[in-house]
Amino acid sequence: MDNLINLSGREIAENIKNGELNDKEVYSFFKQRIKNSSRLNAFVEIYDEPIMGEGVSFLKGVPIAIKDNICIKGKKITCASKILATHTAVYDATVITRLKNAGLQIIGTANMDEFAFGSSTENSCYGPVKNPWDIERVPGGSSGGSAAAVAARLVPFALGSDTGGSIRQPAAFCGVVGFKPTYGRVSRYGLVAFGSSLDQIGPITTNFTDCAYLLNILCGFDEFDSTSAPLASEDFTQNLKEDIKGLKIGIPPEYFGKGLAPEVKAALTEMMELFKKNGAEFIDINLPHTEYAVATYYIIGSSEASSNLQRFDGIKYGLREPAANLKDVYVKTRGKGFGEEAKRRIFLGTYSLSSGYYDAYYVRALKVRNLIKKDFDEAFKKVDMILTPTSPTAAFKFGEKTTDPLSMYLSDIYTISVNLAGLPAVSFPCGFTKNNLPIGAQLIGKDFSENSLIKAGFSYQCWTDFHKRIPDLK
Amino acid sequence: MQEFDTVIGLEVHVQLNTESKIFCSCSTRFDNPANSNICPVCCGYPGVLPVFNKKALELAIRVALALGCKINKQIYFERKNYFYPDLPKNYQISQYKMPLGEKGSLKLPSGETIGITRVHLEEDAGKLIHKENYSLVDLNRTGTPLLEIVSEPDMVSPEEAFDYLTYLKLTLQYINASECNMERGSLRCDANISLKEKGAAKLGTKVELKNMNTFRGVRDALSHEEKRQAKVLVSGEKIFQETRLWDAKHQITEVMRTKEEAHDYRYFPEPDLLDFVVTDSAVNNEKKYIGELPLDKRERFLKEYKLPVTETDVIISERFLSSFFEEACKEFNEPKKICNLLLGPFLEQVNTFEEKFKAVKISAVNFAKIARYFSEGKINNLGVKKVLSLCIVTNSNVDEIIAKEGLLQVSGKEELDKFAKEAIAENPKVVKEYLGGKVQAIMFLVGTVMKKTKGKANPRVVKELLEKALKK
Amino acid sequence: MVDKKTVEYVANLARIEISLSEAEYLGIQLSKILDYIDKLKELDVDNVVPMRGMNMQNNIFRNDEVKECKVEEDILKNSPQREGNYFKIPKVIE
Repeated sequence: MDNLINLSGREIAENIKNGELNDKEVYSFFKQRIKNSSRLNAFVEIYDEPIMGEGVSFLKGVPIAIKDNICIKGKKITCASKILATHTAVYDATVITRLKNAGLQIIGTANMDEFAFGSSTENSCYGPVKNPWDIERVPGGSSGGSAAAVAARLVPFALGSDTGGSIRQPAAFCGVVGFKPTYGRVSRYGLVAFGSSLDQIGPITTNFTDCAYLLNILCGFDEFDSTSAPLASEDFTQNLKEDIKGLKIGIPPEYFGKGLAPEVKAALTEMMELFKKNGAEFIDINLPHTEYAVATYYIIGSSEASSNLQRFDGIKYGLREPAANLKDVYVKTRGKGFGEEAKRRIFLGTYSLSSGYYDAYYVRALKVRNLIKKDFDEAFKKVDMILTPTSPTAAFKFGEKTTDPLSMYLSDIYTISVNLAGLPAVSFPCGFTKNNLPIGAQLIGKDFSENSLIKAGFSYQCWTDFHKRIPDLK
Repeated sequence: MQEFDTVIGLEVHVQLNTESKIFCSCSTRFDNPANSNICPVCCGYPGVLPVFNKKALELAIRVALALGCKINKQIYFERKNYFYPDLPKNYQISQYKMPLGEKGSLKLPSGETIGITRVHLEEDAGKLIHKENYSLVDLNRTGTPLLEIVSEPDMVSPEEAFDYLTYLKLTLQYINASECNMERGSLRCDANISLKEKGAAKLGTKVELKNMNTFRGVRDALSHEEKRQAKVLVSGEKIFQETRLWDAKHQITEVMRTKEEAHDYRYFPEPDLLDFVVTDSAVNNEKKYIGELPLDKRERFLKEYKLPVTETDVIISERFLSSFFEEACKEFNEPKKICNLLLGPFLEQVNTFEEKFKAVKISAVNFAKIARYFSEGKINNLGVKKVLSLCIVTNSNVDEIIAKEGLLQVSGKEELDKFAKEAIAENPKVVKEYLGGKVQAIMFLVGTVMKKTKGKANPRVVKELLEKALKK
Repeated sequence: MVDKKTVEYVANLARIEISLSEAEYLGIQLSKILDYIDKLKELDVDNVVPMRGMNMQNNIFRNDEVKECKVEEDILKNSPQREGNYFKIPKVIE
């Protein structure tokens, strides 16, 4: 059984199908593994019995963890916030319905930054998640629980959500594959909204094969999400081929300058050599508005969040702080229910939408967003995809950035533009630091070009074995 | 004595005639038990998303067309943010910078035209029930599709505001866009009123009036406020920009809030909905449903049918009546006679039905037949009532009913003469009175004959026969 | 600089109770973040169209059909306080 951790999700499903394994023993194996690794604090809730639909797919029987901001009917959904700690979802998110219809076994909910605000999973009301490669360090965030769980092989798959890098940055810090699909590819129905025009659900896996199979289940138009793209479904597994000849990859100098750790840069350089050797061509491109992305993102994301989070008011569900009149219920419930970072974002967002500041902040940010999108449009006239580091550094230590929110925000500098432009992007391991911390590379594709990213990532994993390394959990 | 001009603008919210809510599939039914038409979407649950009801857009386009608005080709929704317990998301999905329609107008019978600033779509809020020490929330109405229709400050008197409301309501009912029932909350109206010195260009400070529950209430509240403001201004004091509530019971307005506490709504584009392109074909499709609008119909009716204004206005006031009337006239071209039966016995019966005109099944052709029978003296008033009551909700064959029920009047002189003679013979005392000069006494004899014929006699003929017989 | 009055104004709009020390601390942090965000003022965006979102012209509609989802009871059960079929809340003071 212990060999299970060396199998991909797809291999586990194959073994279940041909009778080598049964889904119950697979489930108890991973459940036990989660329980044994409780010090990672990757999970909010572990289900005794799996949540499982009747459906069949190439991944039937594989356990999966769900970030605690995606609704599972009849189960607690907390977003790692005190304000929702008692809340039970009354409906399934569309991705949950799809997982049920594919016969996966939902094993529990993964820890995260409160309402997905953060890059380190230090902002959870359940305490921080620890990086399985070094428990003194953060797993990244906000999908830190999901990434840590997959990296530590506590579960073969997890779902995360990505508003400014929340799937890719923790995937980089934990050494796994984290895919943010094109905006509109995966339904957001049932994902507790942070930045509605930025959010996207995506899979976290150890390898691209699993990633492609999982995307097949997750992607597709949903009548319950008006922003979901009305496109015919695609088979992402058709591109699990080692074939990158003639691939044109763009390199933006804006992503390789000041602040990039030498070890990360070195890993990327080596990676480029491998791609070149196998027939890819690298072309310099420019994304001149990159330096404005973080500022733009914090205005748009926080503005949308400030409005999205107004529904948590102690009236219909969740926490209610007792008070004599309605207004006091509002201010006390929200004052006590939201953590520090949530308050900071709500304040920033409320401020930038308020009368007198709207044009100077919000409208200006929407305009700069357009400039950022146009940078990518220009670049994609010359190249098929863009290669960048996922994060300027490998995982940092707990507390390193908590006192300075701005330095925390800036650690997302390479992932944020992608959300502003709505593009698909994936982070995957491309090396390790001398301290044995994973390093992540990011490939950014054109709108709805998930298939090309999968092909490039799959090819890379045919030549390397970084994705096969497993942290020692002793 | 100082003189003032009154300046009035109205903000009307109407509920669009849809089966389901604007952004979710819950029912819009009015009278369901509390919190039964609710779902995660309209309750603002974490993770939910709005999906726009196509019918709501279609009806809104129809209204915009009927009000002669310029229709924006690409529209989008925005969020209006404020905390209130009847608003589960604590923001209302509404339109702000890019409303569906702008710059329209509504013509009134007086010949005046009132400008329409804008019409825009939004979702309704829920209902609060205030108890002594707490409140209760019912979210059934949350998410009902509303159209907000904002007028220009073009009205110069409470009466004109009343006319505007009447014709706005009629227009919306004619095109089947809204029930416009103020009692049921499917039409709501807030008013802005200010006074300025007579002839002056500069507008005075405006006051917003809320809480009017009938059109008459709107008129009364405006007149009251008109007088109050005049009094304040005459005494040399200032009007404050504020919101006042109409108290219908005591016929006064009271301050609700002053402008200093005004909201900062933080409008921004609703990121959960994309833009909606209003296509030419969608617009053209709605044109089909518009037809003749009430004011045009009124003018045409006055010209074509030459009925008095009062009667014409009653017929126009219900789309059903106006088309029923017109169809009936096609069958039997006696507008005055059709009108009399329609506004008399017909309306009398309709008013007893809970569903009013919706319950009516009789065809205009069948109704015209009754009018013809009556006009030719073949049936009498009682007969009209009887046949109508038997046909109005069934549309049974009028000829057959009249025959079956034996409603045809007995006008045959020989037959009636026999009854008349009997009546004279049986009532010597009455005859004596009549012959002695008490002319009214003959009516008793008419009544006797009517009884003998079981109400089928033509009373006019009976009277003639009696008079003739007694002259001898 | 985000002063105390502004922090209080925003706190009221957002309906969040904050202590005096929190107000001060938030003011300083917000000022720092906004100073950074002021970077956006370097750009000339006069002729740039604001980008409200992705794939803006999709016209996704639903048909006007009633679907019962039968979760009213689950929804009421989630409420902090109820009375019968109503959500119960403290007195509303304007």
